[in-house]
Amino acid sequence: MIARDRNWLLIFAVCVALAIVYPLFADGYKLTVIRDALIFGLFAASLDFFWGRTGILCFGHAAFFGIGGYIMALITLNDAIPFGSLLGIAGAVTGAAFVAAIIGYFLFFGGIRGSYFTIVTLAMGVICQQAAVSWSSVTGGDSGLIGIPPIAFDLGGLHVDLSQDLPSYIFVAAIAAVVVLALWSISRGRWGMVLTAIQDNEVRAAALGHNAPLRLLVTFVLSAAIAGLAGALYVCMAGLVAPDLSGLLLSTEVIVWVAVGGRGTLLGPVLGAIFIQRAQQTISSFNPSLWPLLLGCVFVVIVFVLPDGILSIYARVKSLFKGRRRAR
Amino acid sequence: MSDVLLKAENVGIRFGGLQALEALNLTVHDKELCCIIGPNGAGKSTFLNVLTGTLRPTSGSVRFLGHDIAGLPLHRIARLGIARKFQIPSIFPSLSVEDNLKVARWGVPSPVRPVGELMELVALTDRAATLAGELAHGQKQWLEIGMALAIEPRLLLLDEPTAGMTPQETLATAEMLLRLKGEFSIVAVEHDIRFVRALNCETLVLHQGRRLRSGPFHEIETDEMVRDVYLGRR
Repeated sequence: MIARDRNWLLIFAVCVALAIVYPLFADGYKLTVIRDALIFGLFAASLDFFWGRTGILCFGHAAFFGIGGYIMALITLNDAIPFGSLLGIAGAVTGAAFVAAIIGYFLFFGGIRGSYFTIVTLAMGVICQQAAVSWSSVTGGDSGLIGIPPIAFDLGGLHVDLSQDLPSYIFVAAIAAVVVLALWSISRGRWGMVLTAIQDNEVRAAALGHNAPLRLLVTFVLSAAIAGLAGALYVCMAGLVAPDLSGLLLSTEVIVWVAVGGRGTLLGPVLGAIFIQRAQQTISSFNPSLWPLLLGCVFVVIVFVLPDGILSIYARVKSLFKGRRRAR
Repeated sequence: MSDVLLKAENVGIRFGGLQALEALNLTVHDKELCCIIGPNGAGKSTFLNVLTGTLRPTSGSVRFLGHDIAGLPLHRIARLGIARKFQIPSIFPSLSVEDNLKVARWGVPSPVRPVGELMELVALTDRAATLAGELAHGQKQWLEIGMALAIEPRLLLLDEPTAGMTPQETLATAEMLLRLKGEFSIVAVEHDIRFVRALNCETLVLHQGRRLRSGPFHEIETDEMVRDVYLGRR
């Protein structure tokens, strides 16, 4: 195992340990704050899996978050559908993946890359948000849908009810940990290495027999499916879904979380999302109008000082100590 | 030699008002080594692009093992057994030498040569962990040849494989290809006459998009017209 992988696993283990002990020190409100931040962290990891591995920026990723949220809401709000929570999650994941597959097919096989891809996905996000506003008979229009029940299901004799703070926190934290670990395993294996190769030189990769558009499409679909899962979890925890959840603002925020946390690290974007969410809540409690200004400044400073994100602090400190030891 | 691998018949290509290639024929047999030479602008790289299916000819046809390959996606052409080395070193700079070769092997369903053997073939064993982007120019060229070999080609097409190499590296590349001769077919487009002389194989000379001469290199080298147009007189 190379040093970079060891470092990642070490940081991951520390994060999991912190997540385990956190409920011992936090009250119900703080638990829900971190739970919601973890959901956004999962969403950020989904974008990072695509953007970080392929170098192609999706500027409308909130569309998949919103699609997942709306499908979850529509299924769980319909009393006639049995196993609403489980079917809702399955539907959210499948629905987001399906939309990504349709859009991705035409973009990747049509040779759309780089900034053109970014612009098309930006338009996709705007269309999704507008559809959520205009299709009011289904989506509830501007005000969205409310009264979405918390996740509850029976699975093989196990009764899961996430209406309480602690169980919902544990459920979300466990899903986030498993998904991030799974994405990391995919990224560092054969699939991830071929994606890096495609990012470096797509023509070369294709001339070696790799079906680059198909690989990009599968990665995009998987990324969208996880964004859909995050959206489904969020609406059940918040109890409502609104057009903003698929909008441009959230699509921009998730890019900031990934950039601040460290693109291509998977864990960094989760930490970036938690860090920024917490900072937003703390600062907004003093002065609500100060937050956007501060966020902009923090973003610029981090891009200049830590271009690889806050997760790179560990590696920098480690190399600093190594340098000092060598100097002695 | 009766096994025809690649057959280009009456190939012509026109870009607007420019007739870049005209009535070109080339037959490559199994395990044959041949070169395409010619002055700048003769149409060598264009012809190679047609041979690899990247460019569709305006007239004529290119068939590989009986398949019309014009316009096929690159990955399908590779899986048919055509490997290509591009004129500008085309590697994965952010991956190590070893990982470049691994990725290359994964491009085909059943690669045969292990990565270690590939690195040995292209003399990069001691640079296995080096990032490909940090290699010297000549080593990048060799790495790309190694990557092309990794997909177990039936036909290897090399576009100026020695461009930017030192004379020693050029000769080492020629020796490498001569060692590989007989394992699969090789077509090299080249500008460096020392390299072509070292290979001493069937050679097609292009001039202004047309065939000027073709035959064994030792005959081509002494041909009056080739010397006038391309090689020059000493």
